[in-house]
Amino acid sequence: MVRFLGNRLISAALIMFLASVLIFVLVASSGDPLFELRERQPPVPESAIQAEEARLGLDQNLLQRYLGWIGGIFTGDFGPSVIITRDIGAELATRIGVTLRLVVVAIAIAFILAFIIGTVSALYRRRLPDFVLTPVTFLFLAMPSFWLAVLLKHWAVATNEATGYKIFATVGANSVPPPQGFFAIVADTAAHLVLPTIVLALMHVAVWNRYQRTAVTESLSSDHLRFGVLKGLSRRRLVRHYAVRPALVPIVTIVALDLPLLLSGAIVTETVFQWRGMGDFLLESIQLRDVNAVLAWLLIAAGAVIIFNLIADLLYAVIDPRVRYDR
Amino acid sequence: MTVELDVVSQDEGPRPNGSRFAAARRRFLANRMAVAALVTLAVLIAIGLIAPQLWTYGYGEITDDLNHSPSLAHPMGTDAIGRDLFAQVLRGLQQSLLIAFTVTGVSTVIGLTIGVVSGYFGRWVDSALMRLVDLVLTLPTLAVAAFLGANVRAGGVSWLTLSLVLGALMWTPLARLVRGVVLGLRELPFIDAARVMGASHGRTLLRHLVPNVTDHVIIAATLTFGAAILTETSLSFLGFGVQPPDTSLGLLVSTAQSALITRPWLFYFPGLLILLLVLIVNYLGDGLRDAFNPRNEVVNPLIDPPGLRRRRKAERQARAGRKTNAQRGAQGANEAQPKQASSPQPEQASSPDSGADDDAGSARAAGTGGAPAGDTATGVSSTRDPVATVRDLTISFGDRPAVDGINLDLQPGEVLALVGESGSGKTLTSMSLVGLLPPGATTTGRVNVLGQDVDGWTFEDWRTLRGRRIAAVLQDPSTSLNPVLTIGTQCADTLAEAGLTGPKARERTIELLEAVAIREPERLLDQYPHQLSGGMRQRVVIALAMANDPDIIIADEPTTALDVTVQAQVMHTLRQARERTNAAMLFITHDLALVAGIADRVAVMQQGRVVEVADVHSIFSNPKDEYTRRLLDLAPRLAVAEEEAR
Repeated sequence: MVRFLGNRLISAALIMFLASVLIFVLVASSGDPLFELRERQPPVPESAIQAEEARLGLDQNLLQRYLGWIGGIFTGDFGPSVIITRDIGAELATRIGVTLRLVVVAIAIAFILAFIIGTVSALYRRRLPDFVLTPVTFLFLAMPSFWLAVLLKHWAVATNEATGYKIFATVGANSVPPPQGFFAIVADTAAHLVLPTIVLALMHVAVWNRYQRTAVTESLSSDHLRFGVLKGLSRRRLVRHYAVRPALVPIVTIVALDLPLLLSGAIVTETVFQWRGMGDFLLESIQLRDVNAVLAWLLIAAGAVIIFNLIADLLYAVIDPRVRYDR
Repeated sequence: MTVELDVVSQDEGPRPNGSRFAAARRRFLANRMAVAALVTLAVLIAIGLIAPQLWTYGYGEITDDLNHSPSLAHPMGTDAIGRDLFAQVLRGLQQSLLIAFTVTGVSTVIGLTIGVVSGYFGRWVDSALMRLVDLVLTLPTLAVAAFLGANVRAGGVSWLTLSLVLGALMWTPLARLVRGVVLGLRELPFIDAARVMGASHGRTLLRHLVPNVTDHVIIAATLTFGAAILTETSLSFLGFGVQPPDTSLGLLVSTAQSALITRPWLFYFPGLLILLLVLIVNYLGDGLRDAFNPRNEVVNPLIDPPGLRRRRKAERQARAGRKTNAQRGAQGANEAQPKQASSPQPEQASSPDSGADDDAGSARAAGTGGAPAGDTATGVSSTRDPVATVRDLTISFGDRPAVDGINLDLQPGEVLALVGESGSGKTLTSMSLVGLLPPGATTTGRVNVLGQDVDGWTFEDWRTLRGRRIAAVLQDPSTSLNPVLTIGTQCADTLAEAGLTGPKARERTIELLEAVAIREPERLLDQYPHQLSGGMRQRVVIALAMANDPDIIIADEPTTALDVTVQAQVMHTLRQARERTNAAMLFITHDLALVAGIADRVAVMQQGRVVEVADVHSIFSNPKDEYTRRLLDLAPRLAVAEEEAR
């Protein structure tokens, strides 16, 4: 177990290093962060451009720039922004908090729903519940998330107008200015969470429940379930411990591996609901050609993928006794 | 020439030949949903190619009709500056299809190449390429594509650049899939054969491996296609994909956001088209998957056959009307739990589950069985009431009978061996005694178990017998135990069915495990099945089968999956366990050598029929049927050796 963990950690560190190189080369070699400055009319003096180049380190070669950048990361410095007053690290910290709030709630809801829907449609495969659930799942699988988000937002606004009350919060992660008092703030935050969470959760329920359906279907046709039936066990026990329990292994692994994708999903959701989270940070930085900010974002995304891969491996070992003892 | 071709195709194993794809096509065409999806996709592609040329307005053309709702002139209405939405949607459709096809093409080429090379060469090539896959997976597609798209100078990103970027990021799932398949194929002899016959690596890859992964590639391509459409439209929605003055479905939805209340058509038409496109591609992929890997009928042993519950309810109501005749209603009724039955063994009385002996019931059952007593031709004897009888049992799938009108009796305490080659219907016959026939099987004839006619039994009816009065040992012990529960838990849940829990159950478990020659059974309780050897697992299975002192044991090839060295020990354990409980046993095997050591009588099956039933000595000394003689010739010495050892 320790050796297995050690091997995985070393390989994860290697991939993280390679990813940082790849990201850096990709970003540094495509596009010019000072493009706007150079094209500005009337022309900016050459000396100003050179000073800006020196500040951003663009006068060094690629290797020096990489070493300077990665060295800074270890000390918590994400490098200078094209906007002098912007502190990339500090801004990311607040943005991550906003996005995590959205993502964590969405994951929890999506996992529970996917688990229930997948299990039910496997247990009642090709019968009424499955005939309803499967097409609905397919529909959400094919639905563009931005379209669903805009539609929900529209309905929410229409409901608010029709009733005259502010039932749904459709803009931002919190009201501006924020309400007074702890409970008011919690209620306000929760109200703002509802719509984006629904969008993000539904998109992942659509994918995950299919895996759960397949896994439970497989356990239902397995020999160990047949043997359980032959032992005379009750339906309840068979479903819980012989069909669903072995199916936990695939669903948990897939969810863990898919989690970093939620970050991408958050880009679209945050845009529609005007949250100032990670997704918004990325789009803003791209528009500003803020190379170091984009680098920081991509590095965090890569780190999330690698860490969740590790977590998936560990969860696998916890849930599946075969892995736990074999390694 | 034809002969040669035949030989080649046999040697080369799973090469895709015409018939495999023909079968897939037949199954695909039978799937209405998939065909509808394919037709719709074809229609949409045709519209995307042809309609823009025929349509009155161009996608950038500004007309005088501002903000028109859908009408004959503008089927999808117009936007705020008078552009015809239908023309714009057609352009968006074109863009989406063009980009999706290119992305799919690019990612398929990369994924297929890397997957095949990785799987074929293995070792360092494989691990290097798989690290590359891990690496590419760390790049979030949407973010990278948005960044690269934004850095293209003036005029925005071209559809080709966009496609290439997406294609370069979306090949990883296919590469992993193909690698897995090729790793499996590489072990097959036809690859070695090709290499030995002098095929180069390139030729082996192209001619022998690539064709074998075609079906996987086609299915994966549909998934990529759908994902590509969603990614492209999302990017365009965010403003980093297709740029104005050109248009795309995502861009149309984006600009329609603010107009949803006043001009909803601008929002719904492009959005619903994306939905439709991805939906049909997904259904197409689903249909292709089912066509290439036909799934068996849905297996769910927890569910009663459709219509059964209604029929049973009607029966119960009818029976309530003539309650005075309750004794006759013993036939599987819920209120009269089908426990009372034959089995005059004294052991039975001590079993926590057994009711009072009810000879009348079983006598009646035997009578309704309609078997003429003493029918030696079918091995029926009238000495005692049999624990199970099978009369004229036919089990068929479609119009092909797999079991064809057989008759069998299982006497109390006897071991009846059911012998025959695979596919002869042995297992089906035995499963009809526990109500676990595969879905799609239709049966006629009568099956009588422990004095009760099991016709139309529900899951709950069967539960009254399963595990308590009738137990089974399945072929492969590595799959018949639940992999995620400990041995102790699996023993406990069996005993709990008979009302034994707590320390008493633990005692009984240890007693059972000791009885199947397991040393230090306490140690085993906290272990998982995978920690045991095959022989140990099968002993645990036997112990579980014996847990509630059954009257009937069905042992379906219980040693086939084991090492030869372990086989003899497990057979010995099984024989002992049976003698201890004095249960009747139906022992199924294709191996006559095993029969001699354990059986009292032998029934030989061939192609769904019982060709010969005789006691074990006559079978070996004086086989009547030609087929029995042929079976005997296959394993004569072992059989004789066993015989002598007895």
